[in-house]
Amino acid sequence: MKALYLYPGWLRIWHWVNALLFILLMVSGASMHYAGTPWLLAFETAVPIHNAAGILLTLGWIAFVIGNVRTDNGRYYRLRWRGLAGRLIEQSLYYARGIFRDAPHPFHVTAEAKFNTLQQLSYLGVMYGLMPLLILSGWSFLFSVYLPETLFGIGAVWVVAMTHLATSYALVLFVLVHLYIITTGETVLTNPLAMITGWHRERHTPSRDA
Amino acid sequence: MSFVPIRFEIGRPAAPWSLIGVLALLMLGLGRPAVAIEADKQTKACLRCHAMETIAYRDPVSREIVDLSIAPRLLPHSVHGELACTECHRKSYRRYPHPEEAERESFSCVGCHEDDSAEATYQLKTVESEYRQSVHVAPGAKHADRFNCHSCHDPHVFKVSRVGTDIAQVVRDGNQVCLSCHEKARDPQLGSHAWLPKRDAHWESVRCVDCHTPASAEPSRVSHQILTAEDSNRDCVACHSRDARLLNRLYQYRSEEDLARRGLFAKAIFNEAYIVGMSRSPLVDWISLLIIGLTLLVLTAHGLGRYLAYRRRRNR
Repeated sequence: MKALYLYPGWLRIWHWVNALLFILLMVSGASMHYAGTPWLLAFETAVPIHNAAGILLTLGWIAFVIGNVRTDNGRYYRLRWRGLAGRLIEQSLYYARGIFRDAPHPFHVTAEAKFNTLQQLSYLGVMYGLMPLLILSGWSFLFSVYLPETLFGIGAVWVVAMTHLATSYALVLFVLVHLYIITTGETVLTNPLAMITGWHRERHTPSRDA
Repeated sequence: MSFVPIRFEIGRPAAPWSLIGVLALLMLGLGRPAVAIEADKQTKACLRCHAMETIAYRDPVSREIVDLSIAPRLLPHSVHGELACTECHRKSYRRYPHPEEAERESFSCVGCHEDDSAEATYQLKTVESEYRQSVHVAPGAKHADRFNCHSCHDPHVFKVSRVGTDIAQVVRDGNQVCLSCHEKARDPQLGSHAWLPKRDAHWESVRCVDCHTPASAEPSRVSHQILTAEDSNRDCVACHSRDARLLNRLYQYRSEEDLARRGLFAKAIFNEAYIVGMSRSPLVDWISLLIIGLTLLVLTAHGLGRYLAYRRRRNR
């Protein structure tokens, strides 16, 4: 049995607030985008929810970045370039094949590395790629009057709209994959529980798996 | 709702004191001299008096000031600008003082235009039947008895919007007609339009009638059946989507030259860009939903595979 305290309080609070905001943003965003669909929110209701949640999400993202700069949590996002492709293939093969054959996890959570390479890359892409794009395009909507008339020769608001839309869809995809992939820990609940308690607990020790 | 006295109530019997009033105004020199306009002699003669901004009389019954002035600069540009006054008004008006026995004139737009090309273009009979159902003349409507075509369409001023007319101008002109009576609608405190997101932006780019009339069978026509506030369109999507009635209605005025200059693509984007439906891109939607759907399918299959593998292991 191994127990590692990997998720400090601030990170867990940020994570669950972020999760709640994501739900609010997805529901209200879909209600605005597909306005008029009966089982969604009314457009007038969705707009303020979406705006407010978006502003909070921005604050949360800033807090996340500051948190990663100020604490040692940032080290988990530093890529180890050596053998990156190999680890990526190994991890992908595990999800594609090994997982069905009771093969050992190719990656073992330690105090130094809590994310496997696939996780690391997707979290990096989401937090430092998609999220800034989402936030910037969202704020551009709010202050579209200050945008130039055109961007790249196309109406600026349309560019903003399409960026926001495409980013949103990509993040919905992330949420779906994230929700599934967190169940692929040692047990289905290993990873979700870790984000609640802060403690990553495994029955098997790496030495046995290795 | 309050009414500004309509400009074209020439049919009221001219009471002697009203003529005295007019003369008094003339003598006081409050009116401006008639502006020379290119019109026929007769129109000029009428405008000698009626071009004065202050020409008016107090209706002895309603006690309201009836404005008799005609804007001389607007008249020649109006849709009726080329007509002599007496083509619509009684010939007896040529005499001054106007004969007292002049009865209330009734002007029927449909009556005049029944057999000409205007009927084919503007379908005035349809307009009339729509107008009969309008909130302004519906049974129980306030001032219904005094409402007529000219309450909104000043026959001495109004002109038809032509392709190429600036949309903002079309909107301003159209809305001014409504707001000349419904001035309270503009009051930010009143809140009758408070529910409307980006209210001022809407008012600058959409005509009142775009929401306050039912969608007509022909998208390029605006119905003359003005709706009650309750029945008016509050559904954002009725306008903010592809093939929306707003686009069809309002953008008919965009010139073909404009389309050629900006290109179909940029115009389509522009149309989508500044209204709520702007994020609707069927291509992005379908591709994204397809990817999300496939992902869900793969994840479900993956989960099922894991469960079956787990059961197999346990059985072993």
